[in-house]
Amino acid sequence: MCQWCMKHGAGGKWYLNARNYSNELADERNMEAYLTEQWMNFETVFIRKIMGFSSIGLGYKLKMPIIGRVLRWQAESMIHSESPGRKPVRADGHFGQVIPVEEAKIILSSLAAEPIIQNYCMCRMMQRNVKDVCCINFGVLSGVIEKLPRFIPSNTKVRLGREEAVAAVEEQNRKGRVATVWFQPVPYVCAICSCEVPQCGGLRLRTDFGLHAVYKAEYVADTNPDLCQGCKACVAQCQFGAIRYSPTLKRVLVDQARCFGCGLCRDACRFGALKLIPREEVPGLVGQY
Amino acid sequence: MAKTSVTIDYSKCGNYTGGIDPRGCGVCLGVCPPSIFIRHEHLTAKPKDPLDPEFWQITAVWLDLCTRCGKCVEACPLKAIRVSW
Repeated sequence: MCQWCMKHGAGGKWYLNARNYSNELADERNMEAYLTEQWMNFETVFIRKIMGFSSIGLGYKLKMPIIGRVLRWQAESMIHSESPGRKPVRADGHFGQVIPVEEAKIILSSLAAEPIIQNYCMCRMMQRNVKDVCCINFGVLSGVIEKLPRFIPSNTKVRLGREEAVAAVEEQNRKGRVATVWFQPVPYVCAICSCEVPQCGGLRLRTDFGLHAVYKAEYVADTNPDLCQGCKACVAQCQFGAIRYSPTLKRVLVDQARCFGCGLCRDACRFGALKLIPREEVPGLVGQY
Repeated sequence: MAKTSVTIDYSKCGNYTGGIDPRGCGVCLGVCPPSIFIRHEHLTAKPKDPLDPEFWQITAVWLDLCTRCGKCVEACPLKAIRVSW
C-alpha cells in the first residue's frame, strides 16, 4: 500500500475506501466549487504560469541545475496538495493510480456515487483532436461536467447505470487502454479514466518527466515460463515498454521495474502464462509506486 | 543539444487573432508522434459564454520531446508552423 492508502485508505487501499466517494465528504470540503473552476479551465493547465514558470518546455526546465530541482519539488507538492488554499485552475491535488480492470469493476459496481456519466476524454481532445467517449465520472463531478457542453457526447447517452459503466470500462480495456482512478482533489475520488500513452496528461508527466501524477498499480505482471508459448500477443499491449520477447529463451520477459500493473498483457494472453501479483510480494519493488 | 522551438503563426491559426478556428482543424495534434501540441482556450480572452469558451489556440508545449521530424510543418494546411533549433 502506498502513502495515500495510509492516509486515506482506512486500513485498505485508498480507492476502496467508501468514504472517499461520499457526498458528505464532497459537501464538507466544497468540492463542487473546486471542480467547476477546474473543469472550466482544464485545457489551460499546462499553459498557465505558476510561480513564473509554465509547462512549456518542461523537460528543459527540469534539467536546469538548481532551478530544475526546485521546480520538480514545487510540481510534486502542487500535484499532491491538500492545503485549503490549493488552486483549481492548476488542478492542485489531482492525481491518480493505475488499476487493473477487476478493481475498476468493484469501484463502479459498488463504491462510485450516483449519478455516473461518460464524457469525452479531455486529454485526447486537447492533445490529439480526437473526441473519444471513454472517461467515466461520478458523484459531484457528473453535475459539473453536464453543464460544460464541450465534454458532452452528442451521439450516445451520457448517464450510465452501474452495469453499463462496468461494460464501458471493460470495452476500453479490451481496446488496449489502461484503467486509472483519480483523486480530484485529494481525498475525494470521482473519476475512472481509460488512459493511453502519450496523449494522457497524467501519464505524460509520469512517463516522460517522472512526476507522480499517476502512481503504478498495487500489482505487477509476472510470467510463468512453463506456460508461455512465445506468441508475443502481450508485447503489443504494453504501453510502458515493460515486456519484450527474448529470442534466446523463446518466451517473453517482463521488466517489473517498468511495469505499471495494469493487467492488459494478462488479458491478451491465451495460455494463462501472465498473472498479476501484489507489488509487495516482490522484495525489490516494495514501495516503488 | 540545442533546444527546439516550435512557433505557430497566430495570424494564420487561432480564432483569437482572426485566423481560422483551431477547433475545426487540429491536424498538427493528430500527426505529431510524441504529441507535443496542446489546444487550449485563450488565457486572456474574455469569453461570452464561460461554460463553452470561444477563443482557442494551439501551443507546442512538450518541446523537449520534439524529434524535429517536420510532420507538423508538412501537414499544416496554413503553413503556420515553424520548427527551429
